[in-house]
Amino acid sequence: MTMLGRVPARARRALIAPVAAAAFAFAPHALAQDAQAMLDRAAAAARSLSYTGTIVYQRGGDVETARIVHVFDAGEELEKVVNLDGPAREVIRNKGEVRCYYPDAKLVRVEPRTFRNAFPSLSPKQLESLARYYTVKKGGTGRVAGLEADAWKFVPRDGLRYGHEFWTDPASGMLLKARTINESGEIVEQFAFSDLAIGVKPDRDAARPTWGLMPSGWQEKQTKIGSGVIDETGWSVTRMPPGFTRIMEARRRVREGDGALAQIVLSDGLVAVSVFIEPRGGMQRNTGRARQGGINTYSVRQDDYMITALGEAPPEAVRLIATSVTRR
Amino acid sequence: MNEDISRLMDGELEDDAAVDRVVDGMKRPGAAATWVCYHAIGDSLRGECTVATRVSRRLSIALANEPTVLAPQRRVDRPATWAWAAAATAAAVAVVGWTAVSLTNEGNPAVALAREAATVRADVLRGQVIPADYLYAHREFSPATPIQGVSPLQRAVSTDAQAR
Repeated sequence: MTMLGRVPARARRALIAPVAAAAFAFAPHALAQDAQAMLDRAAAAARSLSYTGTIVYQRGGDVETARIVHVFDAGEELEKVVNLDGPAREVIRNKGEVRCYYPDAKLVRVEPRTFRNAFPSLSPKQLESLARYYTVKKGGTGRVAGLEADAWKFVPRDGLRYGHEFWTDPASGMLLKARTINESGEIVEQFAFSDLAIGVKPDRDAARPTWGLMPSGWQEKQTKIGSGVIDETGWSVTRMPPGFTRIMEARRRVREGDGALAQIVLSDGLVAVSVFIEPRGGMQRNTGRARQGGINTYSVRQDDYMITALGEAPPEAVRLIATSVTRR
Repeated sequence: MNEDISRLMDGELEDDAAVDRVVDGMKRPGAAATWVCYHAIGDSLRGECTVATRVSRRLSIALANEPTVLAPQRRVDRPATWAWAAAATAAAVAVVGWTAVSLTNEGNPAVALAREAATVRADVLRGQVIPADYLYAHREFSPATPIQGVSPLQRAVSTDAQAR
């Protein structure tokens, strides 16, 4: 993997006067370590505490609310998320399985992915990039969901990543609010608890599906996808925003029925951009950009392939990445 | 009427008069539900749904803050149906939300507002298709996923509804 983003050591040394270096360079790095500890703690708290609350999710002009019951009992995690707007939807997470209930269609979709399997602690290199490409600020407190919260800001130092703001509960470490901010200072996406009870008595019954595990007369649909083998794919990304490195590369299936495609994941330690390289076949996907809250995508055709970059990064960043994919 | 809603949804209504017609028609009982129905249930279940849309106060406030001017976009290749439905659901519900709010809120230039909403949304629907399978495959590895805890599921609830 090329590391185009890395500033050559000589240039780096030249940039920082030796005397000022100690104080100047150390402070951001120490703050980045604090920030890393905050992120680790938030991830652990979301997993290993029992809580109930209401989540408000905003992106663009859309607002959605959902009710969450999270149970951590005897080392096991159970979770129920029910949306409160629009057609009823319910998501039950239990051990390694996620079940989505669609009562209007009498359908249960079973999803083997739990979205919890990938939180490696940041490597020293990523920690360094966190400190170098974001100005980390720990600033003040604010009330969220009736709780006094610690506020954190990750201000990007270039235009190729979004800004992030986090509010956490000092007592439990729980993330209470998260915001993604674009270069104009506008909020592109926000998650926040509007009410939250942390450390409640684990109540497994409250996390059971409303309609029973498998209601009679409903259809069950299993999603069968490959976890993929981490391997070289024969493709590489030749341009990416500085500070991003490759954290995963695999050939895998991402949907039923289709053959394997190549996925390469790049990360700066805080967010990631995935690159998907798929034979076009009969696929009629759009080229160009698309956006959904804090997620941007950019797709290009290259010979018989469709290349799509998708991630929590601004349009320019995903475009830069998508247009730089070549065969090795 | 249902056909027009479908065409508006697909971004195939190009002239203002046609959009006006659809929006006016939205006042009729059942029309708004039809819009939701097309998105929320998908082709195979068309005509069999009875989706009730609850418009939250929050939603209506947020919609009132929507940008009011968007340049019309050229229509691009039509995406595959499943991806279309997946991406469109939330927006579709929002359209109904605004339309319903505008039409019942006396003192507002209701039709103008609603027409604007429909036009804006038609553009949004045209421009934004993020394939749900890619989104999931990405979320498995993104460090933003566990930090935000429930958010990927929250997103799943809102975006994947129809990716089946």
